[in-house]
Amino acid sequence: MKVVALRLALLALLLAAWEIAGRTMNPLLGVPPTAVLPALRDLLLLRSYPDLPASLVLSVREIATAYALAVAAGLGCGFMLGMHRLVGRAWGPMLAALYAVPAVVWYPSLMLFFGLDAASKIAFGFLLGFFPIALAVLAGIRQVNPQLVVVARAYGAGTVTVFRRVMLPAMLFTLVGGLRTGLALCVIGVIVGEILGSKAGMGALINHAYGLLRTGDYVALVLVTLTLVVGSDVLASLLEHRARRWTE
Amino acid sequence: MRIRILQLVTVVAGLAAWELAARSAWVDPLFVPAPSAVAPALLRIGGDALAGLADTLGKTALAYVLSVVLGVSAGIAVGSVRLLRDVLSPYVIALYGIPKILVLPWIVLLLGYGTTPAVFYGTLHGFFPIMVLVMGAVRDVDRTLVTVARSLGATTWQLYWKVLLPAIVPSVLAGMRLGIVFCLLGVLVVEMFAGVRGMGHVLGSFANGFQAPELFAATALVSAASIAIVLALDHLNDRLSRWRG
Amino acid sequence: MSARPELIVIEGVTKRYLTSSGPVEALQDVSLSVEEGAFCTLIGPSGCGKSTLLGMLGGLVTPDQGRLVVDGRPLTGPDPGRVAIVFQEAGLFPWRTALQNVEFGLELQGLPAERRRRTATELLGPLGLSGFAEKYPRELSGGMKQRVAIGRALALDAKILLMDEPFGALDEQTRVLMGEWLLDIWRRTRKTVIFVTHSLHEALFLSTRVAVMTARPGRIKAALDLTMEYPRSMESSEMVALRAKLWSEIREESLRAMR
Repeated sequence: MKVVALRLALLALLLAAWEIAGRTMNPLLGVPPTAVLPALRDLLLLRSYPDLPASLVLSVREIATAYALAVAAGLGCGFMLGMHRLVGRAWGPMLAALYAVPAVVWYPSLMLFFGLDAASKIAFGFLLGFFPIALAVLAGIRQVNPQLVVVARAYGAGTVTVFRRVMLPAMLFTLVGGLRTGLALCVIGVIVGEILGSKAGMGALINHAYGLLRTGDYVALVLVTLTLVVGSDVLASLLEHRARRWTE
Repeated sequence: MRIRILQLVTVVAGLAAWELAARSAWVDPLFVPAPSAVAPALLRIGGDALAGLADTLGKTALAYVLSVVLGVSAGIAVGSVRLLRDVLSPYVIALYGIPKILVLPWIVLLLGYGTTPAVFYGTLHGFFPIMVLVMGAVRDVDRTLVTVARSLGATTWQLYWKVLLPAIVPSVLAGMRLGIVFCLLGVLVVEMFAGVRGMGHVLGSFANGFQAPELFAATALVSAASIAIVLALDHLNDRLSRWRG
Repeated sequence: MSARPELIVIEGVTKRYLTSSGPVEALQDVSLSVEEGAFCTLIGPSGCGKSTLLGMLGGLVTPDQGRLVVDGRPLTGPDPGRVAIVFQEAGLFPWRTALQNVEFGLELQGLPAERRRRTATELLGPLGLSGFAEKYPRELSGGMKQRVAIGRALALDAKILLMDEPFGALDEQTRVLMGEWLLDIWRRTRKTVIFVTHSLHEALFLSTRVAVMTARPGRIKAALDLTMEYPRSMESSEMVALRAKLWSEIREESLRAMR
């Protein structure tokens, strides 16, 4: 109880500090929370940026497409590498090596190839989300107790049954964790892509506000985008819980 | 042994297929240049690219030192005081999960273009994973070790210095391994967004100028540098972890 | 009895803990004295507070009532110069070699490296670890790890050695061998040992005195003095009778603890 009270107190303190700092700062550089609220209202009433819904929809579509591709490719590659031991052991470390490269280095190449449209954002989101999913599949497969498979086979289970009833439940936890991380990274990838250069989408709106020094609108847009980010993670964690209950 | 062969074969086959695809115009060579075009491009960009790389790595090194020092200190400070840990944990994890790029425009607004925002943002990126890892490690220190040390008369200072610090070294190293990629990422992002120097800017210029072979060459250069740094850190990690076996 | 001074005097010690289901009395009015040079075993059912009592003797736990006087002075906190402790888990620092672990207490005291190394190396011989100075804990067996832990405790040369089920995590055969080895160390170093155990065999084989504790709240129910010569035969008629007596005292408490 004390802990919760302290947390709220800290939050109140931070908001107060923000308010004071915002009021004393140059309004082009910093706005207090009290100035953000009207900006947020204008935003949500579509007065400041009438194309907000369209941008939001576009960003969501980019994320969804990137994620669908990442899941398909991630699961596919992960299983292929996991099921064929030699291939897995050869390509696994190569995959891990690529992970050591900050993904943003690929973005200029993607922009060159796909242009400033949605496609480059989808590609980048895909690239970011793909790795954790594939690696989670690999890790999940590796931690399946081979004894279980042996026992199942001894009872006459065929390959598909072994997969469905033995391997899948055993690796579900790791797998779902990877899927959740993958979604978070897809979201980040799309947003980064939009901010680094795009003509439409939430990132473009943010750049627009920033470019015109409309700091209040900028903060409001950031908050809306943040809601999108947090919302997608909450959704993912709900699905994770559902999947967890499934296997129990 | 067979693994190495398969890896080599994969790389060679991949390069060959790429070369073929570019030459037969299956992919537009304007967008995806052949390896044979990329290699000479590497020599052409040589001086400028290396200068850009040095600039980026310089900023990254600075950001890295800051994130490690701040991340480890904060991790130890918050992790070892139960109340602080309980109160601050959700905030730390929330901040860790927020895409920091959303505040980048504002940071650039405040700090301008150039080195300062890059170092600041790089530090921001690298700080959180290190802090979270160290916090977890401090929380998970074997209680028996602390009791033993106390029974042998250790002062609080000695507990921190001789028990806590050595116990969290594996996590600090893991955090450092993670942190370098995050720091480099942060610096590159700032250079792409609002840079006048550095690899991020170089890559961006090549992309804008549709100089595909140069872009690929530069990308390969940065990737190689990053992989080399991470491998070096891994090696250091192994050397320092002899006692773990 | 004997004219030996009483090195440890525990008087009317009580300890209460606050749990989620209300206050629990771990120890109630515990009194015990142990003479210098004795090997005193504390035995009793689970939860009887023997580890708490040992913690108090080590200065890690403070009593709510009563006091503990060790070597003429009351105990106010950990005092490695007077009392050394060995726990059930060896608690070796995994990043230190066996030698460095033994040195640890000396290092905390600020002793120079040369002297530390000498003292610790000299200890390794009787510990049976002469060739293992540079090994890390992960390379040592359970029994070896406990011997390093005991060495670490002996390094500060305190008069009193407290041991909280030190062989509990070892297999049967190792336990027996460790017991014999411990007796040897005890006689060579002339320490006063307080030894907590579940095992009747250990209590009878090792100690000069056995204190039986009641189920929670713990009190000293009975104290037997054993005067037989070492090494002891567990089959002698005297031993068999003692064992039966000890068991009857303990059994009653164990049943009470289970309810």
